[in-house]
Amino acid sequence: MCEDCTCGEEIQKNSIYLPEVAELVSKKKMTDIDSFFEFELKGHSLGHLPGQFAEISIPGIGEAPISISSPPSDDNKFEMVIRNIGSVTNAIHSLNVGDKVGIRGPFGTSFPMNNLRGKNLLFVTGGIGLVPARSAILYALQNRADYKDITILFGCKEPGQRLFTDEIEEWKNRNDITFLETVDTCNGEKWEGNVGVITTLLPKLKNIDPLETYAIVVGPPIMYKYVIMSLHDMDFSDKKIIVSLERRMKCGVGKCGHCQMDNIYVCQDGAVFYYDDIKHLKEAL
Amino acid sequence: MEILKISENDFMSFLDKKIDEKAEKVIGVVKKGSHFVFNELESSDKLALDYDVTMLPPKKYFQPPKELLLKYKPGNPESYRAVNNCDPMAIVGIHYYDLAAIYMMDRAFSEGERDEHYMKKRDNSILVGLYPTKYFKYRFAKSVVRDQAYKVADLMMVKMNGDYVVEVVSEKGKDFIKGGNFIENTYTLQEIDDAKNKVKDDQKIPISVELIPDYLGKNHGHPVWEVFGEKCFSCGSCVLVCPTCYCFDVRDEVELNLEEGKRIRIWDGCMLEDFAVCADGHNFRKEKGQRFRHRIYRKGKHLPEKYHYFGCVGCGRCQYSCAADIAGPVKVIKYMEDNKQGGQNV
Repeated sequence: MCEDCTCGEEIQKNSIYLPEVAELVSKKKMTDIDSFFEFELKGHSLGHLPGQFAEISIPGIGEAPISISSPPSDDNKFEMVIRNIGSVTNAIHSLNVGDKVGIRGPFGTSFPMNNLRGKNLLFVTGGIGLVPARSAILYALQNRADYKDITILFGCKEPGQRLFTDEIEEWKNRNDITFLETVDTCNGEKWEGNVGVITTLLPKLKNIDPLETYAIVVGPPIMYKYVIMSLHDMDFSDKKIIVSLERRMKCGVGKCGHCQMDNIYVCQDGAVFYYDDIKHLKEAL
Repeated sequence: MEILKISENDFMSFLDKKIDEKAEKVIGVVKKGSHFVFNELESSDKLALDYDVTMLPPKKYFQPPKELLLKYKPGNPESYRAVNNCDPMAIVGIHYYDLAAIYMMDRAFSEGERDEHYMKKRDNSILVGLYPTKYFKYRFAKSVVRDQAYKVADLMMVKMNGDYVVEVVSEKGKDFIKGGNFIENTYTLQEIDDAKNKVKDDQKIPISVELIPDYLGKNHGHPVWEVFGEKCFSCGSCVLVCPTCYCFDVRDEVELNLEEGKRIRIWDGCMLEDFAVCADGHNFRKEKGQRFRHRIYRKGKHLPEKYHYFGCVGCGRCQYSCAADIAGPVKVIKYMEDNKQGGQNV
């Protein structure tokens, strides 16, 4: 079959698979396998909302879906924390400031920050789940007066896997939010904080009003079931629990089928859901 | 709808003229060994319209097994260019169930985010349908296909005695047959209808397709998934031959000279073991039974709930190609009916 394009400029204009160009403007190592990346688009902002993701392309290697970690901004920049776990992410890790990548997106649903105004926010984040949650956390902190009590819980496997450690120090020291963290195990590292899975932090919280609080839960697949059980124990209704679910996003446009969960394409209908809307799905949690 | 007729000989001459004119690629069914395939025609000699089923459906012309999406210079994201081959083509002899499948593919690729790579190929194609003239033992299309074929066909042909009756379904079809010796139809509607229904299906979905989404929903825990899943080789044959499967993977390929790169999409399938594996290694459908259920649910529950039609057209290819002899929806539903679970089945 002839591979030359016979559709001309039209496909160039209309292809949903054509990335645009973004430049890497800063980069910082966070853990042995996770690094922070800041990208900038030319002439416009990404236009994302907290909780959305984008596809990053390295020509010759491939494309990978990555959560956006920064809140919406007007300066054409956006942030991601990327775990070096496959060929595309490995190539992204080897980029230098000034290098360029392809980008498609933003894709998916977002944390309903408008609906949450005037309410308490309880973020329950596990491991790399802090990355997408951070876009909503920073948004809420930027608009602090719009939200009542803000509580952030963060758990990861071991101290060496903690992310955004500088910001965590700031959050700990703020008196207008509550921040608690834990590690599953110290693994021989120096650690004076909480030890135990993320659900061990929930009983430490006093005065959480389940009627006035939304829980935003983001973490590895195993975490949801147990966190939701604990939230139920605290009398949270399913309408007050918001989750962001991981799936294998590939195309980002609801076609390729990889992210399908029952009848839902997570890349389009998610990844952010009210738990109440998906709890009946057999493949959800 | 205008109804014309043409003798078989005149139809072959018409096709030869079309092939010579080269206004579009002319594709038809040809024999390959003991099987049939859709292939580009160099002349009408090889055309084999008396076929039972083709190995692959004509979807391969709209979503090729390996399709170029982008070209680029490796390492240079500013060089990405979208590319698409949408040369005009006419596909002759598509059975009604494969037309119904194209209608379903059109819905999937045009709704929501419109996929121009697929849609431009479709826009530039002419579909010439044909009512089956040969029996295929795994076919059960009559029990599942409703009126979808006429939503995409440009022409529909019915084989009569030495003639083809041609229903002119679209303007595009009308333009296509200009210059051929298509003359006024002399067959009665009853004769045409009889010819359309001459080839019977032995297979039949044992319950009405309209009931299947609910039926499957109530049987999520039925043993059929585990029993059939246990036999499955996870080879993916069923999804690769399916005319309504469109899942794909996207990959980058670089030429050996390292100067040219391509982003391609290739057929993928939910029955393959790593289809739902995430970056961290978690497999959301780890068990074969889960994958087997997902495939049947997609055809029988998820697609019907979204589009309001059964997502399988009854071509029988999956059952025919399945080494474990489990893939056919008729077989699955029959097993469920034969093994009703304490009032779960409807």
